[in-house]
Formats: sequence, structure tokens, C-alpha cells
Amino acid sequence: MTSRLEVKVRKALPGFTLDVEWSAGDGVAVLFGPSGSGKTLTLQCLAGLVRPDAGRIVVNDEVLFDAAAGINLPPQRRRVGYVFQGYALFPHLSVRENVGFGLRGLARAERRRRVDEVLERLSIAAHADRYPRDLSGGQRQRVALGRALAIDPALLLLDEPLSALDLPLRQALRDELRSILTGWGTAAVLVTHDLTEAYRLGDRIVVYEEGHVIQAAPRSELLWQPSSRSVARIMGLRNVLQGVTLKATPDRIQFRWRGQTLEAVNSPTHSYLPAADSPLAFFIRPEYVRLIRKDRDRVDSAHHMNLMSGTIVREVDFGATWILYFRLDEPGVPAQGDYDLEVEVPRLVYEILEIDRDRHWRFSLHRGSIHVLPSA
Amino acid sequence: MSPDNLSALRLSLQVAVVSTALNALVGIPIAYLLARRRFWGRSLVDLLVTLPLVLPPTVVGYYLIVLLGRRGVLGAPLYELSGFTVAFTWYAAVIAATVMALPLLVRTVRAAIESVDRDLERAAYTLGRSELRTALEVTLPLARNGILAGLVLAFARALGEFGATLMLAGNIPGRTATVPLSIYTAVQTGESGEALGLVAALTALSCLVLVVANRLGARAA
Repeated sequence: MTSRLEVKVRKALPGFTLDVEWSAGDGVAVLFGPSGSGKTLTLQCLAGLVRPDAGRIVVNDEVLFDAAAGINLPPQRRRVGYVFQGYALFPHLSVRENVGFGLRGLARAERRRRVDEVLERLSIAAHADRYPRDLSGGQRQRVALGRALAIDPALLLLDEPLSALDLPLRQALRDELRSILTGWGTAAVLVTHDLTEAYRLGDRIVVYEEGHVIQAAPRSELLWQPSSRSVARIMGLRNVLQGVTLKATPDRIQFRWRGQTLEAVNSPTHSYLPAADSPLAFFIRPEYVRLIRKDRDRVDSAHHMNLMSGTIVREVDFGATWILYFRLDEPGVPAQGDYDLEVEVPRLVYEILEIDRDRHWRFSLHRGSIHVLPSA
Repeated sequence: MSPDNLSALRLSLQVAVVSTALNALVGIPIAYLLARRRFWGRSLVDLLVTLPLVLPPTVVGYYLIVLLGRRGVLGAPLYELSGFTVAFTWYAAVIAATVMALPLLVRTVRAAIESVDRDLERAAYTLGRSELRTALEVTLPLARNGILAGLVLAFARALGEFGATLMLAGNIPGRTATVPLSIYTAVQTGESGEALGLVAALTALSCLVLVVANRLGARAA
């Protein structure tokens, strides 16, 4: 069944206003953004736990909330499964009782059958008579999912489902969660402030900032085309820079930055054609900057485009990689404080090139790894 | 122990048990509302319920007479209708003890309810439970130790109530003379032997209550 979710919500709280509008279809929609940007509040509005001041919420063809029409279904009647941050399992009830909690309307035998089925599907049948405090983090997650899915919800909401776990477990459970969500096929909205989680779990990503949606796009699109500098910043992108357009065609954009003339590939799906001399925002992933080996004296211009040179002003050891902060040889004020470009090199490269001894380098940027941001 | 002392002890226990039951009936809903709802007049309810904790018991007793005495605000119509008056009966002792113990119960239970994770209640709502059913199936069971501790405290307070009881119920041997009142009478009339037995009984009971309350408090924490 194809599902359709339409959300338009306005809610004013003291010191914070949520004002968002987005939609999603089948699969998992991820609400991504920093803490305090209104993601959880949105879930609470969807579940009917918080009443918006204005707006409209439609799941499939059912109107759950419509301020203009005076419709506001209570949470009890919304058929929305909610997996809370920290899971909120009932500590005084067994796993079986937790999972069956939402099935009181069913006859005893039917209820038992449904609970057994859910426990079986989530591989927690062996723990049916245990209590939440005796379960591991992963088992708790499955019980919370089971409790929410047992009511056969039209929509599943998950609030930071992995934040209660420590890092190694988190990664394992992220994949488990992904396969459960895919396997169950219920349309879901998941909240996270972790970019990796957003990408692993989301089919569509809605980026929140300070109570507003600043971009809503399919996962693949968001990764390579953040719609603005603020999306790029929230996504934790580094080297978000500003240049001046020279010439833009549907294939290529040429621009000036810190005295260099650079060329980037224009977006294949939505080409962006800024006027000459207009400001242009772009970003360069630090791991895509290529240092040029000095033992290869010939520089191949077909291979090495967007050539620059500079000196390392600072460096940070991250174990597997080194982060190098380069200042261009070009005179003038550096673009990012005391440096122009952040470059990430694997530890092995750092050692082979003896970067600890040699601080001045030429480097190149493939035009495909400069990403132009539509609208600065 | 003298027959008078025995009847005082029995009366005290009876008053304490009934007023604790009343406290549970009235106090737990009030505590729930104060902990979970925002409603008009909430601060006023909070104030009224807490007031007996800080007011001198005789002042509370005075208000109770104004309210429930034969010519009181509620007492007069009641007397007109039924010829019954609360004052100077053991019911009066129950009411005085209930009002004096209410703040202890409400404050303890409210804190226990506030410590229940609200997401548990929200989860119950999304799973189809009404607010009342959620309170009965989730909130109150999880606040159980706090509720028991509150009831124990209320029981102890009711057992020791003196000032407000004296004002509203008087000190009628065999009818309204509870243990604290009987101790007062015994000391006043120089029967220190009589007083000693009751003092020992009340001390032992209070110690027991404290131990139970501490145990419950430790488990609740």
C-alpha cells in the first residue's frame, strides 16, 4: 500500500516557534537537525500529544488534525505507533504485557496470537516473561518497536531510537533497525541529529533548523546538493566557502576564489546558473583534496585541475586520518580564520609523503568534487 | 492499662485509619491533578492543601469550626436538614486529622507522580488508554512506593493530631478523647502513670511508622 503523509504545523511555545510544512511517502522520512530545532515537538504533534496552534496533518486519507476544520483526533484514536527516546517501556510490566498493551480491544485469544506473532518476528519470544530492566539495549529497542508495531499503526514515529546506546552497539542496531523498518514496511518518521543515522535510515530527509524546514529531499539528493549554506553547516560539511561567479553553463561553473580560478561540475539534476559576478557558495569535502607528490615532477593538466599551493599552518591527528589546515600562497586574508582549506589525508599517506617534515604542498581538486550550493 | 486508656487507643487507631483512607480518596486525585494538569485555580488548590502544614493547628481547628460548627457555613444547613452536627463527635476527630494530614500525603504523592517519566504516560495514550486508565495502570502503580510512604506519614500525623481535634471534636472521654488528648488530660490531673503508658504506646507506634516510611522511601528512590 502506498502511504502519504502531509504535515503542516505551527505551534508557538515560550521562546520557540515551530512552523513547518513537509510531506513524505512510503518508507522512512528522517527529521534531521540540531537539538532544539523542533523535531520531537513535530512527532508529538503527529501523535496528538501536543495540539498545534494551526495547520493540518493527514496520514494516508485520514485527517488527524485540521485547525481550520476543528478536527483534532486524540492520541488514543490516531493509530500512530510511537517509539520514544529511551524507549519508555513500562518497567512494571513484562515484555509480553508491554507488547500487548495496545491490544486491549482484542479478544484474549486473538491478543495472545498477535503478541506471539510480533515477539516471534522480532526474535524476542525467548524473553517474553522478562522485565525491561533485565534486557539489553538491543532487546529493549525491539520490545519498543514491537509494542508500537503490534497495534498495526498507519504511521510509526521514532524519536532518536539509537541515542540511548553506546557507539559500537549503536552501529549494529542501526542496521538492525533498518532491516526491521524495511521488513515491516510501515511508513515511518524518524528523528535524529546524527547525519550517518539519517543517511542509513532515511529514504527522505527533512532538515530542521530553529523550528523551520530548510530542506526536504530524497536522501541521495541531499548528500550532494544541500540547498543552502545553512543546510551544509547543519550537515557538518567542512570547507563551505564563498567565491564569485565567472561563467555558468549547464555543465560547468567557473568562479574565482582567493585569487584562484576554479571550475566545478554543475549539478546534473538541477543546473544552477548564477549571473556573472554574483556570489557563489560551494563546499569541498576535505577528503577529496589531492596532494601532489613531489617525486612526480610532471604535472598532468588533464589529471590535475584546479591547482593551488599552500603551507600547513596546523594539523590534528585523528588516528586513522590527519586533518591538515592549509593556507594558500596567495596573499590576502585566509578564507577560514587562519587557514583557507581543510584537507584530510589517511595516516598511511601522511607517513609515506613525510608530511610531518614537509609543510609546503601543491594540491588539486577534481571539478567533480567541488560542490556548488544553490543560493548563498 | 486502664479502660479509658484502652478506649483512647482504640479511638485513635480508628480515627487514624479512617482519616488515612479519606486522605487516599481525596489526596491522591489532588496530587495527580497538581502534578500533571495545568488548570485555573491550581495555585490556589496547592496553597489551600499546603496551608495546614504551616498554620498552627488551633487556627486550622478554628477554621473548621467556622465551616462545620453547628452555626458554621456548612454546619448550619446540615443541622437544619438533619439535626446532626459534626462537632464533638468522632467524625470531627476524623475530619480534623484528615485536614491536618492532607499536606503530607499530597506533597509526597505529588513528588512520586512527578518522578514518573511522562513518556510512559504518552506511550499509554498512543496505545489507546484514556487518561484515567493510564493513571490507574501506569502512573499510580509506578508511584506506588511514594504513595505508600505518603499514606504512612498521613497515618502518623493523624495518630498524633491534637490542636485541631481539640478545637473541633473536644476532649470527651470515650467519644473524642484520642491518645494525645488523653495524655494531656492525664498530665493536667496529675495521673502521670496513666500518661506514661499512652506516651510509650504512641512512641512505639511512631517509631514503627518511621521505619516503614524509611524503607518505602529507600525503595522509591
